[in-house]
Amino acid sequence: MNSAAPLLDVGNLTVRYASEGESFTALHDVSFTLQPGRALGIVGESGSGKSSIVGAILGILGPAAQMQGNVHFENRDLATLTPKSRRAVLGKRIGSVFQDPFTSLNPALRVGRQIAEPMIWHLGLSKAEAMNRARSLLGDMGIQEPVAVANAFPHQLSGGMKQRVLIAAAMACEPTLLILDEPTTALDVTVESQILDLLEALRQSTQISLLFISHNLRVVKRVCDDVAVMYAGQIVEMGAAEYVLGAPSHPYTKGLLASLPILQAGSRGLRLPSISGHIPQPSRPELGCVFASRCPFSEPACNASPQNLTTPPGSHQIRCWKALSVGSWPAQVAVSTVAPKFRRGDALVNATDLRKSYKAFGGWAGWRRLLPSLQNARSANSTPVAVDTVSLSLSPGEVLGLVGESGCGKSSLGRLILQLLRQDSGSVEYDGANLGALSSKALQNFRREAQIVFQNVGSALNPRHSIGEALERPLVLFDLVPASQRIRRVEDLLSMVQLPLSYRTRFPHQLSGGERQRVAIARALATNPRFIVCDEPVSALDVSVQAAIVNLLADLRDEFGLAYLFISHDLAVVAQISDRIAVMYRGRICETGPTAEILERPQHPYTQRLLASAMYENPKQADRVDGQTVGTAHS
Amino acid sequence: MAYYALKRLGAVFLILIIMSLVIFLSTHALPKNTAAMILGHYSTAETQAALEHKLGLDQPLRIQYLRWASGVLHGDLGDSLVMNRPVAPILWRALANSAVLAGAAMVMVSIVGLSLGVIAAVWRGHSTDHAIAIFTYLGLAVPEFYWGLVLILIFSTTFHLLPSSGSGSVSMGFGRYSSHLVLPVITLTFSLLAHVSRLTRSSMLEALDTNYVRAARARGLPERQVILRHALRNALMPAITVLAQNFGFLIGGIVAVETVFAYPGLGQLLVYALQRLDLPVMQAAVLMMTATFCITNLAADLLYGWINPRIRYGGGVD
Repeated sequence: MNSAAPLLDVGNLTVRYASEGESFTALHDVSFTLQPGRALGIVGESGSGKSSIVGAILGILGPAAQMQGNVHFENRDLATLTPKSRRAVLGKRIGSVFQDPFTSLNPALRVGRQIAEPMIWHLGLSKAEAMNRARSLLGDMGIQEPVAVANAFPHQLSGGMKQRVLIAAAMACEPTLLILDEPTTALDVTVESQILDLLEALRQSTQISLLFISHNLRVVKRVCDDVAVMYAGQIVEMGAAEYVLGAPSHPYTKGLLASLPILQAGSRGLRLPSISGHIPQPSRPELGCVFASRCPFSEPACNASPQNLTTPPGSHQIRCWKALSVGSWPAQVAVSTVAPKFRRGDALVNATDLRKSYKAFGGWAGWRRLLPSLQNARSANSTPVAVDTVSLSLSPGEVLGLVGESGCGKSSLGRLILQLLRQDSGSVEYDGANLGALSSKALQNFRREAQIVFQNVGSALNPRHSIGEALERPLVLFDLVPASQRIRRVEDLLSMVQLPLSYRTRFPHQLSGGERQRVAIARALATNPRFIVCDEPVSALDVSVQAAIVNLLADLRDEFGLAYLFISHDLAVVAQISDRIAVMYRGRICETGPTAEILERPQHPYTQRLLASAMYENPKQADRVDGQTVGTAHS
Repeated sequence: MAYYALKRLGAVFLILIIMSLVIFLSTHALPKNTAAMILGHYSTAETQAALEHKLGLDQPLRIQYLRWASGVLHGDLGDSLVMNRPVAPILWRALANSAVLAGAAMVMVSIVGLSLGVIAAVWRGHSTDHAIAIFTYLGLAVPEFYWGLVLILIFSTTFHLLPSSGSGSVSMGFGRYSSHLVLPVITLTFSLLAHVSRLTRSSMLEALDTNYVRAARARGLPERQVILRHALRNALMPAITVLAQNFGFLIGGIVAVETVFAYPGLGQLLVYALQRLDLPVMQAAVLMMTATFCITNLAADLLYGWINPRIRYGGGVD
């Protein structure tokens, strides 16, 4: 970074949240500068404090937060401004875009008005002028029909369009700084790629500075000049993106990069590198390195004194006293397994011509058909087909990856196969028996053998059941284990998913996301299943935790001979664990094949597009940390 | 939207037909002979038979219902047994009086209830919030006739500021006319305030905690604009539905208030008819209350659909 007057200068920022006598440090002594026209990325996992930085800059931390330090923007300290003069800066000089485009637009106001509003307040434009500019801004954001979109309500727009609208609203008053808090996290990869293109174009055309917050290292690398890596409320490494993400020095950055799934077919005998454990709560930076408990390079000296951000000669800022001497992150681990041979025809699960549509008007749909004159344009297409004539089969012990973007029907398909949803037509066979024709008692046996792990680790566990109770439920329901041995079995299950036995008495809210997903997996294992539908099991988890969960699923697959239907939107994650991949697009499976074949020779145009977007995220093998065991690159 | 409205309208008709049956049958399922009940202890078999013939009570039930129902559909609600006059004009007058009272109370509840709700939400946890809660709960917890009596005691009996009973006529001038409305309207408003203000408060709190409000603040919009335009607009939707439903309650359920203030509305008419076993008036009044209730609820649903763009404009344009 050069030494011209910085646009944004954050100095010694510390944020504490105090509630009921307990205080929690979200940010500890964070300092960074952003020069005009540059883009700074702040990366970190959930709980690293990166969103608190945005809150501190915008002054929206909430009443429970105590803030120290200063936030200089254009030579004014935002931290000391009155609410009124702060408002004169927000929206006018600083534009911001938040994580979730689906909820960040007011559902009751037309899109154009929401873009025009800040121009009316800050620039004193008339309503008509502001609306005109809103429409031309929408055009600048690459929206084809700006007039129609300006007149639309948010629910009429897709996620990508909403995010374009939000960026337009943030850019309305031509600010000098644009803050983006996880702007693409809620979007599909193909859409994410378009939004990133847009941001790059905006940087070129307006010279705007970006503060880009994300958990996604590849996205940050693509957009930003500089990167600050956050861990447990501290910046652990900061410098030019090409160095920090290309040749990382801090063990945590190394671990993060190593944990990223790469776009290549995984092997049954390999496990992904991962970071064990989770962010310490509360973190105690005064006691030494906050990462020491998860760091494979740690030694007693790491905990002897607080770690300081230093700049070793010829390097960038690093908060690790032995940064220059640590090697590369432990690579993929090889385990010994015998890869099973699948024979076609001995399928465990066989779905034939499954079809499912959701009726928008429930029981009244029949009435409407009787009164065709009442149908309008909308009701004509109000019964979208979620799953359209899909057939697939799965051998015992096989992992079939099901990949596709949100809304393509992949979750519905998973539920149809488990008969949690009833198909409109078609059939599902399990172990040679047609599930539709089974008696309820025989179906009960199927329910025992076929389990599901959900995406949302927050709501998949009953918050009022302790972990022990949650794991005991299936044992009781299926009467699997005599009452006297249930605790023993629960402890077995906990050790299978590598959780301490003491977790039996804990409650879901006391666990981290990754730990909750382990409990959900243990609950699925409780009935000794042969088949598990994993519905986006790692999508809600941080990168370092993702890898650990994928490894766990692979271990369990080998140990118990489980078959998975592994559903995910993330092609790289699917590729790591799947023997075969089925690509789903708009309710249909457009391509199925062995993982390596799908990645190397995709046939269907949609697969090719998906692969291209994923490639953007996983551009070259050279991005990997040096010394990694990597396979051949794909083009 | 048109389809939705039509569907709901059909449902209202269905409910009205069912309710008319219930009303009709329940008045005919009285424990004693209707004519004997009306005529009292000194009736003879002949006078009873004469009255039964006059009322058509000697006909089969089916015929009686159809005759009554077709009368209702033609606007003929029968004759009052006690007042010896057609029911319809009496009923319309009472309905008009009740509608004025309910309408005035509605306006008051909307203005005061919504404002208190918004203020309580903005000052959440402060003493203002608590004071509003206590004030509105007092209106909810203590029956409205009690507050009616208290108000009469203060404003009529002690200070002679306002009339305690009856209704004025428009010919007396607006001031005199509306002076009769003040106390009943205050009483009714007070009893409904808690419902509306609490609901507004909670939906307002929800709206203030949304991402789009955070985004509006981050765009530097003035706080007033954020609260009134961004948050309130969305918080209003549930509140408006509840308000419209309250209107049905106001027309039908103000029996106690109309009695306390001797206000000649639908509620008082019903009480009068019940006390004197005036069957045609009873049936007509109850049917009218049902109809008003259904129609205001229908209006509430349509209003909700109209202010909620997600219902108004249907699905997306992906």
